[in-house]
Amino acid sequence: MTGGPEGLRYNSHAARHHGRRAGLQACLVVFFGLVASNGIGQAITYSKDIAPLLGDRCGGCHHSGGSAPFSLLTYADAKRRATQIATVTKNRLMPPWKADPSNGPFVGQHPLSDAQIRLIARWVDGGAAEGDPRDLPPPRVWSEGWQLGTPDLVITLPQAYTLPAEGSDVFRIFTLPIPVEAARFVRGLEFRPGNAKVVHHANIRVDPTPASRRLDEQDPAPGYDGLIARSAIYPDGHFLGWTPGQVAPLLPPGLAWRLDTHTDLVAELHMQPSGKPEPVAPSIGLYFGGTAPTRTPAMLRLGRQNIDIPAGDASYTITDSYVLPVDVDVEAVQPHAHYRLREVRGEAILPDGTTKPLVAIRDWDFRWQHVYRFETPLRLPKGTRLSMQYAYDNSSANPRNPERPPKRARWGQRSSDEMGDLWIQVLTRDDDDLARLNRDFRPKVAAEDVRGYEVEIEKHPGDAGLHDDAALLYLELGRAEEAIAHFKTSLALKPQSAAAHYNLGTALTVARRLGEAADRYREALRIDPAYANAHNNLGNVYMAEGKFDAAIHEFGEVARLQPESAAGLKNLAAAYAMAGQFARAVDTADAALRLRPAEPLASEIRAQRAQYLKQRL
Amino acid sequence: MVLFPLLAVLVQTLTGASVDALQAPTGTTAIVFLFTSTDCPISNRYAPEVRRIAEAFAPRGVTFRLVYPNPAENAAAIREHMSAFAYAGATEALRDPSHTLVKFAGATVTPEAAVYAGGRIVYRGRIDDRHVDLGVERPAATRRDLFDALTAVLAGKPVTPPTTQAVGCFIADFAR
Repeated sequence: MTGGPEGLRYNSHAARHHGRRAGLQACLVVFFGLVASNGIGQAITYSKDIAPLLGDRCGGCHHSGGSAPFSLLTYADAKRRATQIATVTKNRLMPPWKADPSNGPFVGQHPLSDAQIRLIARWVDGGAAEGDPRDLPPPRVWSEGWQLGTPDLVITLPQAYTLPAEGSDVFRIFTLPIPVEAARFVRGLEFRPGNAKVVHHANIRVDPTPASRRLDEQDPAPGYDGLIARSAIYPDGHFLGWTPGQVAPLLPPGLAWRLDTHTDLVAELHMQPSGKPEPVAPSIGLYFGGTAPTRTPAMLRLGRQNIDIPAGDASYTITDSYVLPVDVDVEAVQPHAHYRLREVRGEAILPDGTTKPLVAIRDWDFRWQHVYRFETPLRLPKGTRLSMQYAYDNSSANPRNPERPPKRARWGQRSSDEMGDLWIQVLTRDDDDLARLNRDFRPKVAAEDVRGYEVEIEKHPGDAGLHDDAALLYLELGRAEEAIAHFKTSLALKPQSAAAHYNLGTALTVARRLGEAADRYREALRIDPAYANAHNNLGNVYMAEGKFDAAIHEFGEVARLQPESAAGLKNLAAAYAMAGQFARAVDTADAALRLRPAEPLASEIRAQRAQYLKQRL
Repeated sequence: MVLFPLLAVLVQTLTGASVDALQAPTGTTAIVFLFTSTDCPISNRYAPEVRRIAEAFAPRGVTFRLVYPNPAENAAAIREHMSAFAYAGATEALRDPSHTLVKFAGATVTPEAAVYAGGRIVYRGRIDDRHVDLGVERPAATRRDLFDALTAVLAGKPVTPPTTQAVGCFIADFAR
């Protein structure tokens, strides 16, 4: 994001203005290199030595209107914070970059060298002199607005949220409808905090469902407290999110992600009170591209949801790993955890036994959750083991511990709980490999998610939605009996819900407990006679039991309630055929085909119709 | 034992008058100097806590004086700051552009408190222990050092510890 052409400009400028001195210095370097590089006897000045460093390494955020709380681009700015600059660079708090500098190289990675940090310290110790302003590099012009250029669409929180004057960190989730008339392809998303003094980072997702919007609407103030809805996701395997100083570069056109109409942006803001009430109204700029993506990344997630750290445990470790079933390019990684994490290690162990680091952090800081994007994607062959190891400190010696005295910490999305994920964004060679990877990886992540749900359910046993979500995951994992148990609990919590009866019926159907399933569907239909899916599933149970007339009745109800459903008519046709009414079966299949169903449904109906036709003759 | 400085510790009021920082009306049990600056984020975050402590101890004869050591912060900027952070009414304000009081009290950062009682300094340091270091903070303070110091002073007990390390913005950077 910085460097490159700007750096070249500095050099040419220096040569132009100081040609003679540059020549002299070159001589000194040749003959007295050691002395010159130590700078002994040379006054270190802001204009000559410090301004280029601050401009290049700090100016990206520390400019007027930037994401940092103050500018550092003039001598007066730098002088009045000189000791602070020396201190925070020395302890490597700034520039904020938590990953081991030997990892990557990552986009935007430009830590100060030890020599540069010593130079700043010596400048401050020597009185932070300004020097000759003619030594200054040409002023850098930083955009006070959007870093990626003018967005195609800007969405701003319509009514500012007021952050209270004090208290601990605030996490608040804002739902912003995206007003697009037709599906668009997104090449970039830039977040502007609206109040750089208090907004520390943002988790951003998209929610194609109304779930987030409903949560937001239940809270009269802008945004809501709580958790990001499970339906709010990273789109098509792309990271979204913001920490100060990080703007994700525009994607190549072939990698854009699809944004459908009626999608909401969901931004969870981490804010720190400033001492007075602060208005916060973030904006998000979207950059569209022309075409559908030709490649789609996959988002892998290593990590544990059975985290259970005893109170006082100063070195609790979790590990996880996954063997790649296909070749991939690793595009980016993002570690995620809360306040108790201390050390992060992610690596790739290749089939030949060599180990490549993905990312390592020795002093995790929750507030700097960068996405680390490889400058050159890291190519990993099939058979590579991706592995992660995180170490936590849940003792009182960890000042960031949110509990005092320390308490047992379990997995959970609230900041007082703990998490431990390593997100890894990869590109596969082609779509077939992508499908193979997703098929192979999905059961692993579902099995981990279900552990998280069990922890949440233990904490909130009366939350029917948690039981429903867990049951769906169990069904996906082929564990029907556990799904039935959770749907039964959910039903006990809301016995008047037709959907709860229907859900339990579905799991019972999967478990082949057809009689019990039929009872649930009938109960769902007693509560809601227009429940088409319940008619359909009950019809399927009757088919399996050989009760074809009853099945015809149920599928007939589906056709009546959903006249545009070709799938419903297909089932009705099959029921007629089973009952020996082939003429009606053919007519019904024709009616289904007149609805112009999509493939492969259309082909299935045509094949079915051909069978009925033969039987009719 | 020296109970009073031999020379007055001269600072400025917001109207530009030179006054002795340690002068206080009869009945004052303690003076708290709270070194601050208008744009130090850590200082500003403490505004509600400073107000709370000032209001809690004012009825017991404790005078709170905000001290602005940055010469670049003029009276207008300070008034605006006090209004934005609702200090006005709870605390007095002094300017210390030549760092006379800074040196006298031994303050090094903003925010830092110096408490004088019985003619001598009885506490210097942080308001509480929320900030462990620059960039390292607790979710909430576990010790209210300034509050506890004032409680001890009013009870006639020694303050323990009498000094703590404050964390914030360096006063050395506010040179003339």
